[in-house]
Amino acid sequence: MKTETKIKKSGLGARASRRISNTIVYIILIAITLVWLFPFFGIVLESFKVNTTAMDGELFPEVWGFDNYIRLFKETDFLKWFRNTAIMGVATAVFQTFFVLSMSYTLSRLRFKARKPLMNLMLILGMFPGFLTMILIYKVFSELGLTMEMAPVGLIIVYCASSGMGYYISKGFFDTIPKTLDEAARVDGATRMQVFYKVIMPLSGSIVIYTILMGFMAPWGDFMLASYIIHENSAGMSVAVGMYEWLSRTMVNSNYTMFCAAGVIVAIPVTTVFLCLQKYYVEGVTGGAVKG
Amino acid sequence: MANVKLTNVKKVYGKDTVAVQDFNLDIADKEFIVFVGPSGCGKSTTLRMIAGLEDISDGTVEIDGVVVNDLQPRDRNIAMVFQNYALYPHLTVFENMAFSLRLRKTPQEEVYKRVTEAAEILGITQYLTRKPRALSGGQRQRVAIGRAMVRDSKVFLMDEPLSNLDAKLRNQMRAEIILLRQKIDTTFIYVTHDQTEAMTLGDRIVIMKDGFIQQVGTPTEVFDMPVNLFVAEFIGAPKMNTFKTQLVREGDKYFVTPYGARIEVTGKKAGELLAKNVESQEIILGVRPEHMTLAKAGDADAIPCTIRVNEMMGSELHLHVEEANGDRLIVRIPTITLEDEQRKSMTYGQTLHITFEGKVMHFFDVQTERNLLA
Repeated sequence: MKTETKIKKSGLGARASRRISNTIVYIILIAITLVWLFPFFGIVLESFKVNTTAMDGELFPEVWGFDNYIRLFKETDFLKWFRNTAIMGVATAVFQTFFVLSMSYTLSRLRFKARKPLMNLMLILGMFPGFLTMILIYKVFSELGLTMEMAPVGLIIVYCASSGMGYYISKGFFDTIPKTLDEAARVDGATRMQVFYKVIMPLSGSIVIYTILMGFMAPWGDFMLASYIIHENSAGMSVAVGMYEWLSRTMVNSNYTMFCAAGVIVAIPVTTVFLCLQKYYVEGVTGGAVKG
Repeated sequence: MANVKLTNVKKVYGKDTVAVQDFNLDIADKEFIVFVGPSGCGKSTTLRMIAGLEDISDGTVEIDGVVVNDLQPRDRNIAMVFQNYALYPHLTVFENMAFSLRLRKTPQEEVYKRVTEAAEILGITQYLTRKPRALSGGQRQRVAIGRAMVRDSKVFLMDEPLSNLDAKLRNQMRAEIILLRQKIDTTFIYVTHDQTEAMTLGDRIVIMKDGFIQQVGTPTEVFDMPVNLFVAEFIGAPKMNTFKTQLVREGDKYFVTPYGARIEVTGKKAGELLAKNVESQEIILGVRPEHMTLAKAGDADAIPCTIRVNEMMGSELHLHVEEANGDRLIVRIPTITLEDEQRKSMTYGQTLHITFEGKVMHFFDVQTERNLLA
């Protein structure tokens, strides 16, 4: 009897201490979440302010309205910048996905003499910061006429050109797909290309989506390189470069809330693409392929 | 349906890692041939060279008289079953089996007909709409076999197809492969490390070691007349007992003197020794466990031993005994031949006398380990 109560007591004690530690963990997590969410909600709230165009130190708008959004489309070239960036996003997503996946599959499956040296070379090259080449890229592109209003084309080239070097993640994924699947398909009559798109691609949904997302998002977030190549030419501007103008010099007080509205709109396509594609993030898709 | 011919086939990995060499073999049309050997002997590599999944370093592989060295796997018209099934996880069983037909742009009705026929034979019709992950190991292996069956391939390659199955299922599938073979009359090349599979399935067996063929022959041939010590010990379970002893020639008669016993060589073996004019010499003698029998103490041919392990297999006993020199021997005794008393007395440490008949011995050269009569 005595031991039984003891066990019960210790059981209760364990439950209580678990509850306490859980509470502490959740408090910390909630605090982190608040800090993390604050900028998002801050920007959304800021974009609905009608009474001011500057930072007024208030979190919630005194008067709510869509004035900033209306101004954005009426008074600025925002729509054009948005279109430029979207085109760049789609083009980069398409080409970059093609390059990255081809590269990854090649390095994962084919065995050739230069394979290891090539991978090492890319690893070393990848250690240099990309902006080291910025001046050179500008020089070359200005010779080719790919700056200013043609900047979107130039930027697509830049985003895609060395994208094959970002093969690490997808190669790592392809490495986990058993090689015997390739071999079975080849014996079944498939060419290497058919193996790639009939067997490997359907099994790589998540990594393909990941690569597409990365490609699509790159132009939306790039400011540094884009601002050099675009060079203050409104016709070729991307949203990041265009919006920067509003925050510079004396404009900050007259354009801040509009900047926030633009920020919200920029977030829409990226978020939409992500939400649409995330359902394809299927895990464990290789289950049952081979003994394991 | 085709014959396969391998001539001086060699496989070298990197600069000097030789996996297979001097591989010469003629596989007849519709023959079931089994490559068997311990792991690393080059059997799978050879199969993969036939399939086109490995480059051939030297020599030629011919299928139906055509040298296929430089042909892609898809151009060789072969079908292959892999050890780990290699089913396409994103496709249903039906689509898995139809995969090769679809690549060949086979008409839809034809695809349907062939897949359902194969599924019928393999008993997997009710699983056709399932994905591989919803199948058990045995069912997956059937699908893998089905995938190979639907094609009219010239050669059917199987790379340890049963190794991933549990013992009971393996026996069942082995029997089914024998049945299957009668239904799809084509050339089979089967790789295994299991000598039982090799013996039961093969028309001929190719026994390999360290990249070299040791012996090619029917199951009976390799069992009755192993060309060397390796084959003798590899084929048959439990493995053949081998020990050094003297072969003594007295006129036209031969005797062996294992562990102080004296046993006359009789039957065909005696005649063969005489025909080859073999002189007295030290040899390695091989006797299969099932050919060992119990003897009475004091008989001239009795070898006294101590029981170390007694494995009761049901229908027979496997006795691991130790001879006075420390040599271990295995004796297989059918339980039906033993009295209850006798069986109970066979425990650890007990002394036992064993012997064997003169007609069941195998003689191997001490240096070369080759069979003296082969």
